[in-house]
Amino acid sequence: MSGVWIYADKYEQGVELLTAGRGVADMLGMKLTALVSGDNNIAQDFIARGADEVLLLPPLTESQPVQDYVPLMADEARDADPDVFLIAASLKGKEMAARIAARLDTALCSECSAMNIDEKGKLQMERLMYGGAAIQTVSISSRPQMATIPPRSYEAAPVQSDRQGNIKTLESPEPSGMQVMERKGKAQASGDITAARIIVCAGRGIENQEDLAMVRELAEVLGGEVACTRPISEEKHWMTEESCIGLSAKEVKPALYLGIGVSGQIQHVVGIREAGIICAVNSDENAPIFESADYGITGDLYQIVPALIEEFKK
Amino acid sequence: MPNIICCFKWVVDEAYIKPSSSGKIDLEWAEYKLSDYDRNAIEEAVQLQEKYGGSVTAVTVASSDATKGIKDALSRGPEKAYFINDDQFENLEPSQTSAILAKVIGDQIDYDLIICGEGSSDMYSQQVGPRLAEKLGIPCIAFVNQLTIEDNRIIAERKTDDGLEVISAPLPALVTVLPDINSPRVPGLKDTLAASKKPVIEIDLEDLGSEYERLLIDEGLRAASMERNCSRFGAGPEDIKAFVEAVRKTGVIDRG
Repeated sequence: MSGVWIYADKYEQGVELLTAGRGVADMLGMKLTALVSGDNNIAQDFIARGADEVLLLPPLTESQPVQDYVPLMADEARDADPDVFLIAASLKGKEMAARIAARLDTALCSECSAMNIDEKGKLQMERLMYGGAAIQTVSISSRPQMATIPPRSYEAAPVQSDRQGNIKTLESPEPSGMQVMERKGKAQASGDITAARIIVCAGRGIENQEDLAMVRELAEVLGGEVACTRPISEEKHWMTEESCIGLSAKEVKPALYLGIGVSGQIQHVVGIREAGIICAVNSDENAPIFESADYGITGDLYQIVPALIEEFKK
Repeated sequence: MPNIICCFKWVVDEAYIKPSSSGKIDLEWAEYKLSDYDRNAIEEAVQLQEKYGGSVTAVTVASSDATKGIKDALSRGPEKAYFINDDQFENLEPSQTSAILAKVIGDQIDYDLIICGEGSSDMYSQQVGPRLAEKLGIPCIAFVNQLTIEDNRIIAERKTDDGLEVISAPLPALVTVLPDINSPRVPGLKDTLAASKKPVIEIDLEDLGSEYERLLIDEGLRAASMERNCSRFGAGPEDIKAFVEAVRKTGVIDRG
């Protein structure tokens, strides 16, 4: 049997993967199957948005982690033998994809940033390595060809009228012995930087915690959110990890990014490479951030930030 | 008292990676280092041993070039190391690495807990830990930032996209740890000297008795260009004005 499969542990990423999966399925002339946890309404929604078939994952008990679906999903994939299996690269999704790939004895392209189909109908996939310094292209010689897809890589698939599809409800997964004892939401001290249109980012050039106030004021004037580099969250603990941009932290896609005292280490820059306009303020004219910026100001941020606040207010 | 395994990788230090003018990646002058997140994995194993007793064994799969990495890992506290090395183990992909680790750990090492970094700092595929758990048939808890052991179970707080989950799993189990779980110690001269006296068990491909086929095929590597054409401004009042004007002209700011 042939086909393209998708799975996301969250609805928003699921409908993005419908766009990705539909594209691949159409190019290969194959059926698109979505693994979905939820009820019949959600299954119908996935069909309306492009799935030909939905495999409905039954609800878990309160103490079961979503990873308990792994053996079930791997067994289903082994039976159906799809050509391609795409999974959303959420934290849970990345773990589940690696475990499913291990069970199926196949390879997995982690956090695939671009995907093409070659003349033999095989996926050619790109991903970043060396902390973002290089782009690797890979293909997979085993079945299924698996990849995880970062959130917001694709638009959500729109609802289309008159689409039909099959819904098959799977058996409830066996408890694994792993128990969720507690779930804690995020401390929502500030907005979500991954959704922000404008980001002002505080870097190591900020000398004192109090000085973050002027960075916040600049963000406020611009109608944006404040983010930071790893030293600010991890070494100084001035801001939470939720605000940190970079590899193993958040990747952001704002229309405008303004780095204040950000030197531009590759691990940070990789997290802003999708930004529309990148601006930087730094006292070191050789700071690497300027190589990745569209507009840069060289000088003392303590003088420049107040001047920017005044000027942007006008 | 738990027997703990920590896995590590000896990797190219990405700070030395400079794209050449042709867009190729030049690794000729690259230095190597212990993968960043694996330092947290080793530190966590050693801290758990300080708390609960037991043993800490460091394990790596690599080509023989990683000999320096063994010493580096041992200087951080583990009492012995398994060095699974063969010239054919150059640039392994995650399915190979995890299968080889599973073979050696499953056959030769007593363990209650395996700790891996969340990913390696060179490839950052974040696959080896979860794959290894599956191959060994043990529970896996990924992206952990806090760990305790109680009544032969591991209690781990892990990061999710929505916040945190506290997970309890029976031992033996595998966890992958985030960089914020601890601050890895910096080994001193004494630790480095002690490391050279610790036992290292070497295993090569022939000892493993099977083949490990590459499934993730390299199709190319190029330098990632994040270069943009930067317009530079000074810090004077006219410059600030011109900068703000230029940014406004792009239309990315709603107001003004």
